[in-house]
Amino acid sequence: MVRKFFEWIISPMGRIAALIAGLSLFTLAAYGVFTLQQSPEQPIQFRHDIHVNLQVQCLYCHPGALRGASPGLPTLTKCWGCHQQIAKTDTSPRLAVLKDYIANGKDIAWVPVAQVPDFVHFNHRPHIAAGVNCEDCHGDMSVQEIAVNPQVMNMGWCLNCHKEKAGDDEVKLTKLTDCGTCHY
Amino acid sequence: MTVDLNKLHAVGAIAEEAEGKWGMVIDQDLCTGCQACVAACAMENNIAFVGEEDAGYGRSMHWIRTERFWEGEYPEVRMTDYQPMLCQQCGKAPCEPVCPAFATVHSQAEKINLQVYNRCVGTRYCANNCPYQVRSFNWRDYQDSRIRPEITILANQFNPDVTVRRRGVMEKCTFCIQRIHKAQDKAKSEGREVEDGEFTTACAQACPASAITFGRIDHPESLVSQLARMPHTQHHLEELGTLPSVTYLKGA
Repeated sequence: MVRKFFEWIISPMGRIAALIAGLSLFTLAAYGVFTLQQSPEQPIQFRHDIHVNLQVQCLYCHPGALRGASPGLPTLTKCWGCHQQIAKTDTSPRLAVLKDYIANGKDIAWVPVAQVPDFVHFNHRPHIAAGVNCEDCHGDMSVQEIAVNPQVMNMGWCLNCHKEKAGDDEVKLTKLTDCGTCHY
Repeated sequence: MTVDLNKLHAVGAIAEEAEGKWGMVIDQDLCTGCQACVAACAMENNIAFVGEEDAGYGRSMHWIRTERFWEGEYPEVRMTDYQPMLCQQCGKAPCEPVCPAFATVHSQAEKINLQVYNRCVGTRYCANNCPYQVRSFNWRDYQDSRIRPEITILANQFNPDVTVRRRGVMEKCTFCIQRIHKAQDKAKSEGREVEDGEFTTACAQACPASAITFGRIDHPESLVSQLARMPHTQHHLEELGTLPSVTYLKGA
C-alpha cells in the first residue's frame, strides 16, 4: 500500500498532484495569517480626517494624553455634545449609528488601534511634555479616514527615538535606555 | 580585547562599592510577623496564588516572606525575631552574571536589579544562584482559570501598572518600581524632585508596626539613610560581598 503510494507520488502525475496540494495548503495558511492580522471593525466608522480638518484638537477627544498614561477614547456624551447641535447628524447615514447609540444608551466599544503588549508600560504624559507631537507616532490624522496604525510599534522603533532625543546627555540616555523604564 | 562592562550592564558584578539609589530598612525589633507585607505585596504586584498541589512542591510565589527561626534544644526552644526577607537589590548581585538571556540586569538609572519578563527564557539559573532564595518561578499560567480551577483568581483587582507574568518566567521584588516611576512622573510634571516619604513600597505602606522604611539611600538626610546609619544595623550574608540595599535593625 505504502509502496504503491510512493510509486505514484514519484510519477509525473503524482508530482503535479503533490505540488498542487502543497500550493493550496500554503495559500490557505497565508490567508489564515492574513485574516488574523486584520483588526476588528470599529463600531462607528469614525472619520478622523473630517474632524481634524474641522480644527478639532486631538486632546479634545483624547484628553488623558496630557495628564497620564492613557489618552482615553471618547464616550457617547463627548460625541453628542457637538453632534446634537449639528444638522447633518439627522441626515447622514453614517451618523445614524450614533443616534442609535444615543437612543439605546449603550457605550461605544471602540477598538484600540495603537497598542503595546502587556509587558510594556507606556505613559503618554512624559512624551507630550518632551515635545513629541501626536502625529510623530500616530501619523497625520488629517488624511486618514478610519484610523490605522502607521507603523509597527516595536522596541527598536521606541529606542531609536529615545537615543535620538537623549543625544549626548549621559544621564538622559541611561534613563531612556534602561530596561526598567518600560518593562516591569 | 577589553569589554566595556557599562555596555553589558554588568558593572555591578565587579564593583567594590555599591552605588545605591533606593534603599530599605527593616526593623526586626518592631516586626510582629503579621504577614501584612506579604499580602500587600501579592496584591500590588499581581502575584499568583499557586494552589495546594504546587505549594506542596515548594512552588509558592512570594516576593517577600516572613522567616522565623528557632534557637536552642527542645524543650528550651526560643524563637528568634521575625525576619522579613525580600530581594536585597544587591549592588553586586549573584543572579545577574549567570543569566544567559540578560533578563536580569542592573538598572543603571534606578540602581536596582531588574527582571525583564519578556526577555526571560526560564533557565532558573538566577534563582539557583540567589543566596537569599527570594526569586519565584511561574511553573504554570496561574492567572488562567483553566489551569487550576480550584484557585480563586482575583482578576478584577489586578494592578494595571504591573505585568501579569506568564508561565516559564522568573520574577522577584522590584522595590515597587511602578510606584517609583509614578512618583517620579508626578514630581517631574510639577517641576520638582521626589520628596522623601512622598511614596513608599506596598510592604512598607501596609506594615502596621512601621517596621519597614523605604527611600533614597544616597540622600544622607532621608529617613532611610538615617536609620541605616544606626549602630545596630546588619546586612544579611554580607560576607558574600553582595552589597545588599536592604538593612536590618536588630537588638536595639
